[in-house]
Amino acid sequence: MALLEIRGLCKAFDHVVLDRLDLDVAAGEFFVVVGPSGIGKTTLLRCVAGLETPQAGTIRVRGEDISALPPYRRNVALTFESYALYPHLTVFENIASPLRARRRPAEEIRRKVGEVARLLRIEHILDHRPGEISGGQKQRTALGRTLVRDPDVFLLDEPISHLDAKIRHELREQFHHLEELRRTATLYVTHDYAEALSLGDRIGVMGPGGLVQIGTPEEVFERPNSLFVARHLGQPTINLLPAELRREGDRTSLRLEGTDLRLTLTGAQVAALSNRAGGRVVLGVRPHHIALADGALTGEEGAVLEARVELYEALGAKGVLLADLGSRKLNVLTAPEARFRPGETVRLLFDRDAFLFFCPERGDNLIG
Amino acid sequence: MSETTARAIRFLLLAFLGVWLFFTLFPFYFQLITSLKPVAEINRMIPTFWPEVLVPGNYAGIFADPGSLKALQDSLIVALANTALSLFLGTLAGYALARYLKGPVGENLAFWILSNRMFPPVAVLIPMFFLFDNTPWGTDSYFSLIVLYLVFNLPLATWLMMVFFRDAPVELEEAAYVDGWKPFQAFFRVTLPLVLPGMISVAMLCFIFAWNEYLFANLLTGTNVKTFPVHIPTFTQGSQTLWNLVMAFSLVAMLPPVIMFVLLRRYMVRGLSLGVVKG
Repeated sequence: MALLEIRGLCKAFDHVVLDRLDLDVAAGEFFVVVGPSGIGKTTLLRCVAGLETPQAGTIRVRGEDISALPPYRRNVALTFESYALYPHLTVFENIASPLRARRRPAEEIRRKVGEVARLLRIEHILDHRPGEISGGQKQRTALGRTLVRDPDVFLLDEPISHLDAKIRHELREQFHHLEELRRTATLYVTHDYAEALSLGDRIGVMGPGGLVQIGTPEEVFERPNSLFVARHLGQPTINLLPAELRREGDRTSLRLEGTDLRLTLTGAQVAALSNRAGGRVVLGVRPHHIALADGALTGEEGAVLEARVELYEALGAKGVLLADLGSRKLNVLTAPEARFRPGETVRLLFDRDAFLFFCPERGDNLIG
Repeated sequence: MSETTARAIRFLLLAFLGVWLFFTLFPFYFQLITSLKPVAEINRMIPTFWPEVLVPGNYAGIFADPGSLKALQDSLIVALANTALSLFLGTLAGYALARYLKGPVGENLAFWILSNRMFPPVAVLIPMFFLFDNTPWGTDSYFSLIVLYLVFNLPLATWLMMVFFRDAPVELEEAAYVDGWKPFQAFFRVTLPLVLPGMISVAMLCFIFAWNEYLFANLLTGTNVKTFPVHIPTFTQGSQTLWNLVMAFSLVAMLPPVIMFVLLRRYMVRGLSLGVVKG
């Protein structure tokens, strides 16, 4: 049985935000909700915390329906994106707040706050007020206030996105090791796909109305069920090329729209797309599935296209090449030591096994 | 800008400040010296700007006069009780308006409450007299003044507290709920401390109004209860006004608000700028 069970959750303000959302999070599971900002991720957390009243649907924790309970009767911990630290209380008192609300003995409060502070390495600022500490420390304090409790569900709203890269990396590492989070169900919200792929046991991609796809990070990244999911995960973003399926004799090829360029498909792909022969599709190719072909390459007929270098960015650990196919531009991930000059001609080798095909009208994955 | 123009502007500014200071402080100075003069010196055609004879006994007279002491005591009772009541009711009403009555209903209600502060007080003077005459305590009672001043102080307190509560982030209250605090606990633990500077400013404004009010106090009270503004005219006996006693008494009566202001000044400035700078 899932620890957190959400069924048919509906929430609308002046427009629909969540439309019949279903979600199960198991005990010990770290579930990441990823999606563009303003799509309703925070609203989902606020519904679970009891800060928003959904128009329909049930929320169960350990089988008990908590939908009608006020937030202070739900055993649910939430970090706010804005931290929401009490400005007039010290860091110690901020972290102690949930324990004080439960009237725990002073000795226990001192011990637990001490433990959490040690874990998050904020012991030295316990006497400070939120106004006197840095953003990273505020974030840790807010996290401490949730970790000090023993909740059934952790709700973390963009807990590390406002921090600078170095602290963000450090905290991301800490999330992997926090035992507390591994014992209960965690619902973690972020707009950063890399964070989602790195942290999530499973991730859910949120689009208009609710979760568009739920799955393991690999599933969602490699087999996105729609254009929306494909587009949202990955940096540089996936290359999406409108194309047309052409059958000539026993060969089926893909003609890229607006060009004369053709790519041949694998047998399995042809079989799967057979009902769309002659139809239009959107071809999705991730930048790392395009390699640079050297001249001697053979046997890869139909998988190589020529392009002109428009822009090249050497980013240290990798390079990003913007290649011009004529009317279409492609992002290509290259080795870090590669160097290109604008205008140069390159030959691009496509990894055909990784091709994704989407319906141009509905946006759903035609094979996956 | 050249050195000389900068210096000239500086000089002009200082000169202006000097004139302004003289303009505002001179009345207090004149009040002080008048309170120390004998009656004969006060009544001279050409006033003296430094008393020829100092009579500190005027102050001793004030403190020896049971009527004057009673007046100060009555003022204190009325002003403190009214301030406490205005603050209590205004805080609750302001909170309700800020958190639960958003949208046009709340906006209009809030403005209507504030607009109660805008009519000319004289307009309700006579009705108020008859209204309080029909209460068990009559017009001439602490009750009548304490309740009557709510008409003026409560709208102000409600409106200002509403503004302060609006500036206090709702998220902090929500965080408190999630922490497990019930609404009342969250209110006292989190929200109230945030608006405390604002409350102190509101308390000051209410106290000063209730302390200084003359028109209604003069009409409704005067025998059982006599606040200090009503007491001052009793220093006129026949055609003779004892200006030195008036001045001495007024100076003593100025002390409570001034002392309060000095003690609470820090909070007050914070409270008044609370809406400007988000903490």
